[in-house]
Amino acid sequence: MTSSEPAVLAENLAKSYRHIQAVAQVSLRVAPGETMGILGTNGAGKTTTIEMIAGLRVPDRGRVRVLGLDPRRDRARLRQVLGVQLQDAYLHHALRVSELVELYRSFYPDPRPADELLELVDLTRQRRTIFEKLSGGQKQRLSIALALVGRPRVAILDELTTGLDPAARRRMWTAIEQLRSEGVTVLLVSHAMEEVDRLCDRVAVLDAGRVVAVDTPAGLRARAGTDTLDDAFVTLTGKDLEEAT
Amino acid sequence: MTTAITPHRPGVRALLVLVGCEARMVVRDTAGLVVPLGLPLLILLTSAGSAGNQVVADGRTALEVYVLPLVVTMVVAMIGIINMPSFLAYYRRSGILRRLAVTPLSPALVLAAQAIVSVAQTLVGITVAAGVAVLVFDARPPADVAVALGVLALTMAAMYAIGMLVAAVAPTPNSAVALGLVTFFLLGALGGMFGGRQALPDPLADLGGWLPFGAAVQAISSAWTGSAVGGAHLLGLGATVLVGTLVAGLLFRWE
Repeated sequence: MTSSEPAVLAENLAKSYRHIQAVAQVSLRVAPGETMGILGTNGAGKTTTIEMIAGLRVPDRGRVRVLGLDPRRDRARLRQVLGVQLQDAYLHHALRVSELVELYRSFYPDPRPADELLELVDLTRQRRTIFEKLSGGQKQRLSIALALVGRPRVAILDELTTGLDPAARRRMWTAIEQLRSEGVTVLLVSHAMEEVDRLCDRVAVLDAGRVVAVDTPAGLRARAGTDTLDDAFVTLTGKDLEEAT
Repeated sequence: MTTAITPHRPGVRALLVLVGCEARMVVRDTAGLVVPLGLPLLILLTSAGSAGNQVVADGRTALEVYVLPLVVTMVVAMIGIINMPSFLAYYRRSGILRRLAVTPLSPALVLAAQAIVSVAQTLVGITVAAGVAVLVFDARPPADVAVALGVLALTMAAMYAIGMLVAAVAPTPNSAVALGLVTFFLLGALGGMFGGRQALPDPLADLGGWLPFGAAVQAISSAWTGSAVGGAHLLGLGATVLVGTLVAGLLFRWE
């Protein structure tokens, strides 16, 4: 891959589950170092799209390349440089926070120090807490920390701050801004317009398994002739993100 | 950009850390150990008294010829076929395997860690059962310890291969336990767990001798008493290892 090539390339992706078309036609190009937001109501195809990009699902049609690698064929190489935070993924319930961090650190050749990771997500005081005893927000923060443990060049974050309190949310935003400054390419699935507006260079709006718009947050507002990203989303999709989720 | 990414597979260190974590999971979740360690011991305690006094061949008692081989096989089979796959199925159902699937960790390392921890559990179970038999009921150790250990290793490999197969195909933790139990009782019934195989119709008795439970009981019994281990039993166990491992590897799913 040359420097002019995208870090993430998805071309004409389609995916069905039995009779349900989850993704009908999705194409994305994310430049190296760019933070791309993915917005859409529930069922718009966001999670299926990023799961195909992460190599967790095989597209029925289309092509994915991440850093020039095929997520299925080049699985071993890609996993070293890809950090993924899944929406529903669970961790070993009887392990302590510090044990889980050490476990995931052992998978990578040059992992981030455990103290740095726990400080990043404000879990230093919970390091000896068993995973199942953590609150929902703490589990979410640990999941984010584990996505970043291997110093990824591409990070895929699904529902980054859903369920987090305002202070934790701002802390995660700072963490993502730090990733951006390190040149990490970020794919961010979110329902939080403020978050997308603040963090994302560009936003892809998905509706019914299709990309209906890709632009900067300001560009989306201008295109829709609205003052807020919320209103722009409603104009572009005919749906209210808050009510639909 | 792709050329800058050097292939790196998590190796021995990752395996050791994973084994440590799996062991902690087992220790902190002890309910699963009660049946595989407790039931064989119960069978031993209830039958060893009379079996220990009954000489059946070459000065060897029924405890050494029948009960201990059965108890050892039961411990290995219950942990390998029922416990280990239910853990893996739980991991799959809860999303743990899915989370691991987006790391550089290979499925083989996850399975290897599970197998290592299961082997450790099995060795504890066998040591307890054999220790009680020797210390309390005056059972003698195997006539040929090296052969007995070899047969035990082959038995473990066969039972874990079946367990891996169950783990690979079971969609939920419940189905893993159900499939594991059915497989365990089926193999056990044909292998003499509910009475000698000679009580079965001839074709089933022959089949049971080839299948891993019956083959293991016979092979361990031979090793314990010092007679030659039957080639058919070794072949049955070896074939189970080969087929089970290959098919489990092909069918394994992260989610």
